[in-house]
Amino acid sequence: MNRFLMTLQNKRMPVASFTAGRDGSGMRATVLLDCPPEQARRYVALLSGLEDVEGIGAADETVEVALLKVGGDAWRESVALTGLEAHEENGTIVVSGEPEKLEAWLAEIKEDLEDLIRLGPVIRPGDGGV
Amino acid sequence: MENTAFNIEYKPRTGSEAMCEALLDEGVEYLFGYPGGAIMPFYDALPDYPLKHVLVRHEQAAAHAADGYSRATGRVGVCVATSGPGATNLVTGLATAQMDSVPLVAITGQVGRPAMGKDSFQETNVMGMTLPFTKHSFLVEDPDELYPTMRRAFEIARSGRPGPVLVDVPKDVQFAACNDNGYRRLREVPAPVASPALEAAAVLLKKAKRPLILAGHGITLSGAELELRLLAERTGTPVVTTLLGISAFPEDHPLYIGWPGMHGAASVNRAIDKSDLLFAVGMRFDDRITGAVDKFAPNAKIVHIDVDPSELGKVVRPTVGIAADAKAALRGILASFEETENRDGCAEWREEIAKSQEPEKRCEDEARNEYGPIRIMHAIKAAAGEEVRLVSDVGQHQMWAAQFFEFTKPNSHITSGGLGTMGFALPAAMGVSFAYPDEPVWVVAGDGGIQMNLQELASIRDFGLNIKVAILNNGYLGMVRQWQQFFHNRRYSETPISGPDYEQFATAYGLSGKTVREGDDVEAAVRWAQEQPGCVILDFHIDPEANVYPMIPSGMSVHEMIEESSAAYGGA
Repeated sequence: MNRFLMTLQNKRMPVASFTAGRDGSGMRATVLLDCPPEQARRYVALLSGLEDVEGIGAADETVEVALLKVGGDAWRESVALTGLEAHEENGTIVVSGEPEKLEAWLAEIKEDLEDLIRLGPVIRPGDGGV
Repeated sequence: MENTAFNIEYKPRTGSEAMCEALLDEGVEYLFGYPGGAIMPFYDALPDYPLKHVLVRHEQAAAHAADGYSRATGRVGVCVATSGPGATNLVTGLATAQMDSVPLVAITGQVGRPAMGKDSFQETNVMGMTLPFTKHSFLVEDPDELYPTMRRAFEIARSGRPGPVLVDVPKDVQFAACNDNGYRRLREVPAPVASPALEAAAVLLKKAKRPLILAGHGITLSGAELELRLLAERTGTPVVTTLLGISAFPEDHPLYIGWPGMHGAASVNRAIDKSDLLFAVGMRFDDRITGAVDKFAPNAKIVHIDVDPSELGKVVRPTVGIAADAKAALRGILASFEETENRDGCAEWREEIAKSQEPEKRCEDEARNEYGPIRIMHAIKAAAGEEVRLVSDVGQHQMWAAQFFEFTKPNSHITSGGLGTMGFALPAAMGVSFAYPDEPVWVVAGDGGIQMNLQELASIRDFGLNIKVAILNNGYLGMVRQWQQFFHNRRYSETPISGPDYEQFATAYGLSGKTVREGDDVEAAVRWAQEQPGCVILDFHIDPEANVYPMIPSGMSVHEMIEESSAAYGGA
């Protein structure tokens, strides 16, 4: 893992989040890069050349999750138009989807926002990863 | 035990012997190294094997010599050092090789396993230290892993985009008995050559009216000189090279126009500026080539072929990007140009370029009769002939050699391009000379860089290497001084530098030397050096304030180029 981490650092990759853990006989790392997909694919190609890396793939989709409390019910209608996934749980609204769409939607309803926790961006489980 | 992968029988007994067996099985002929405490078991085993060891005088030189040997032959170079300072001294050489994609295997001794991590005498974490600039590195703690690890190191070093690999071996592992020596092959890495992309590249080349082929070091590394020439000739496309691509295409060929970048020819930089297609093969759009990326080749579509897929789109966004070995890709593209194409479409383009080169050629012809770098370069070529290989150091002289020495033989120009390592040339020339003992090898160096590894004259003398050294001595760290002149108001802070009397210095080492000054017969001096047996040093005292022109200041474009006629920049 040392060389992998060193390469992320040496190539100044824009790492937004990094998680790693044991997986069978090796390590599995999930790296979220804060850059356009084309650049991310180039980084994937670069990392795939490392002798320590047994397999690597780029995830197709990145999602961001937000937990929020909102005044009123208008959010239901507006979120339905965005393509974001949303549900309510014990008074907390859980919204997930593409970071850009989420960002735009949050800007749209900012007047009604009472509380907001953003968990994002994460790779959708099961996609890509090392 | 039979190695099924290579059908080689081996019976190593100790770790050291396993290392030697692996070197033999890889076809290694020369090792460049320097012994010390932690590598002593290996050196104890070495005389029992038909491996030729070259004792250098500093480990940095071992890495550079192995690098020079590798660049000259295309084979994996091998260097050896002990732990601690021996290993740290290798570091510059490994970084040099990594930047220029040169396959090396560096073997370092390490303190014994029980002593590791205890700040023991001559202990450093060389594996950790070299992680950023080696292609891979191993610390072998199991004696049974030594043989397969050594073999893997060679395979990694030469596969795909070549590079240096470090194998760090604790002393007790070198002593230990080996049992299992099975060699496991690396996972196969497919070489992707996508035919639709090749076809798209060929279509772009056919349609282009102002195309340029931009050939880099990858041409030499993959041995694609012939394919490059065929493509240029069949399409009539002018060829430019990178600094490391110099000698991948014969410079006396009518389609060769020069090399671009910070100190490249003005005509070449302008041609790139006007080009409508850059067909780039085996190169990485180094910042010394592009300058301001957003102003680089603004009118051109770009075909980018490189064996390292991570290079595609790193600096410039290609219209067509192909991740493939240069030779394989060019062969694929040549299929679209089976016969000589009618290239009248770009005849006008070639004429335009030729016209823009006329003033440069006139200036060069005039300067050939004046004492200075141009005359010296021409004299060396005339005396040493077509077979000469020239190894340059780093600085002004490197640019003059690249600009004014006519490289006509494949892979005859060897220099440290990416890292720009001063002190590279003399030891690297040792490697070149071991590779081709019957061919003339010239070193061109400055009086700064030559002093960084001058101790290697002893190694050169011991082995009777036929290396001729031309020092362009201006009493300055010339390139830094030039930047101080242009960009720091001529404050020559710590750039004046003194050195020995090289003529006497050569004599002290049992070699020959001569001082050459303005008014002396340059050609006669060079001929004299060429005729002497063994190593000769020529100390050319040149104008202290001679500059390299043209120059595109760092981060700028061809439109901000400083030419010799400019009176700005501190009175250049």
